[in-house]
Amino acid sequence: MPEADSVPFGYHARYLRIDVSHGSGEYLLLDETMLRQFIGGSGLGVRLLLDEGAAQADPLAPEAAIVFAFSPLVGSPLTTSAKFAVVSKSPLTERINDSLASSGFAIAGKQCGCDAIVIVGRAPELSVLVIDEKHSDVHLEPAAEYRGLTCRETEAALRSRLGADYRIASIGPAGEHLVRYATVSHDGRHAGRGGSGAVLGAKNLKAIALRGSQRSGWAHPRELTELSRSLSQRSFGPATAKYRELGTAANLLTFNRFGALPTRNFQSGTFEEAPSISAEQLSATRSKTRESCVACTIGCEHIYGHGADGVRLEYESLFALGSLCGVGDADTVLRAVRRCDELGIDTISTGGSIAFAMECVERGWLDVGGNDAPWLRFGSGEALLHAIELIGARSGIGNLLAEGSRRAAQVIGHNSISIAPQVKGLEIPGYEPRALQTMALGFAVGARGADHNRSGAYEVDFSDKVDRRRVTLDAVRYAIETEDKAALMDSLILCKFLRGVFDDFYAEAADMLRKVTGWDVSAGELRETAKRIVSAKRQFNLLAGWTPAEDTLPERFLKTPLPNDPAASLSHQRLDELVAEYHRQRGW
Amino acid sequence: MHVEFFGLSRERAGTARIEVQAETLGQLLSILAEQIPPLGAFIGGNRLHPAFIANLNGDCFVSDPATRLQKNDHVLILSADAGG
Repeated sequence: MPEADSVPFGYHARYLRIDVSHGSGEYLLLDETMLRQFIGGSGLGVRLLLDEGAAQADPLAPEAAIVFAFSPLVGSPLTTSAKFAVVSKSPLTERINDSLASSGFAIAGKQCGCDAIVIVGRAPELSVLVIDEKHSDVHLEPAAEYRGLTCRETEAALRSRLGADYRIASIGPAGEHLVRYATVSHDGRHAGRGGSGAVLGAKNLKAIALRGSQRSGWAHPRELTELSRSLSQRSFGPATAKYRELGTAANLLTFNRFGALPTRNFQSGTFEEAPSISAEQLSATRSKTRESCVACTIGCEHIYGHGADGVRLEYESLFALGSLCGVGDADTVLRAVRRCDELGIDTISTGGSIAFAMECVERGWLDVGGNDAPWLRFGSGEALLHAIELIGARSGIGNLLAEGSRRAAQVIGHNSISIAPQVKGLEIPGYEPRALQTMALGFAVGARGADHNRSGAYEVDFSDKVDRRRVTLDAVRYAIETEDKAALMDSLILCKFLRGVFDDFYAEAADMLRKVTGWDVSAGELRETAKRIVSAKRQFNLLAGWTPAEDTLPERFLKTPLPNDPAASLSHQRLDELVAEYHRQRGW
Repeated sequence: MHVEFFGLSRERAGTARIEVQAETLGQLLSILAEQIPPLGAFIGGNRLHPAFIANLNGDCFVSDPATRLQKNDHVLILSADAGG
């Protein structure tokens, strides 16, 4: 195993590159300067992908690379730091995709003595990639017996077979079927967006099981422990109370009141049945438990029901499989969310693709290539659940919807692309762009497409900095600030639910990194680092074929005001001006 | 005016809405802290904790305690962090 001349604290200064065509792996060195420039997580993942030439590859081809990236903070006592990034070219967007998940896989992965795992190639048969650092072993095991199992079943079976000290990331049946928005799952959580599960599926990898024992040490352990204790204490306060007490699902009624709740494929910003699927109603009428990721003091996960029937519910799932499809029956929405988790598909893209198809049916457009599906109607819970099954199996109309709304629109025709709820192919999360126009800009310019985790511009709309329905060019710098901040958080990696706790995020992040690595890093340096990471994503996209025309929104949002709120109106001209100013301020 | 609570503030207030008379936002928040003690943790003096924000009539977000209120205004109290 190669050792770098100088290994900074918090790192191993090497990554494990595995070619699953042969089941072989090797450790390769990482330069300290590069680590300091990209830190870890999303930043490190993008940098490694660029080095692999992944931007030009077909994301589902054997030569395509996928990176599991850890970070210097992983394994430290800092709250919410047990996270990993899964970075690849997206089979859904053909652009950069970095999706994050939490918990023990991050810690175990880093204990394998590496800062990232890069996987290329294609296994000859459905396999499990086993990384056993304790015995210096990397090998493939046949996984035919796990074919068709859910993510949870796969993890349970593998831990039973390999040992309880293994941590496992897996794909569900949807990943095996190359659904373009299949997820990678670990311990019930998902690296959800953009289809990294399909990338693993294309490599014939049902799961990655790993265990290790290596530790990377901290430069200033006593000070780090004190800082961690202080941060944990702050994380118990009002800034995170929302996540603890109701979870993100609390957004639903708020957004409905503001006319910003996407409903029936973005035909409306309010949903008359919102109260029946609200967090408040669900909490009052159902048993619920709360869980946390490893090394997290916030505890945002609200699980409705018990055991295998328990459903982790987030706002994005609630809106996508509820109001977006016009479904107001809470039991149906919970079943739909659970089924998506079992199949291993992104709830936002699932709901977006189904809602799009529902509107196409309503308009009489979905009658091509044997795809006629008159049963697929807004408000039908039965149709929603059936469509999810078909997508997971790539059966019938599910085969079309498994491609995502953009590709489906290309098949359906009728200029249905104008109502396909996506940017760069990624389905839009639960923020009505006409009612939240700084977020509209964030969606339009997002490197991985319409996304609320890489741009937190909605926070600007929910503030006194802008008029959310009449944003001006002043909004652009705020949108950039949220994008930069997200890029840094995703590279450190820290959970974004912690962001309200910081008085001065960059200064405090620098302090954390200083105590872990020993680097004399400043807030100013981290601001530059954040911009470098955003630029690296853009560089990837440029190499992948990005053109300026992609930085826009579907025509629906630019030609039709929100019916329930005529003041919520965007135009091509206004969005183009915002995007142009964004590019100007970025120096692009 | 009508005060509407959303999310955590609704949980703490134990109601979705109440009627309160006040001339300014600061005055309104002071009354809320006094009348609904569980909300007090989110109100310091006559301002909301930064994790919360107030909105007037679904239009503009307001934080200045001196903001004048009209009799028929709807004041919405919600989490400042709208993310999911």
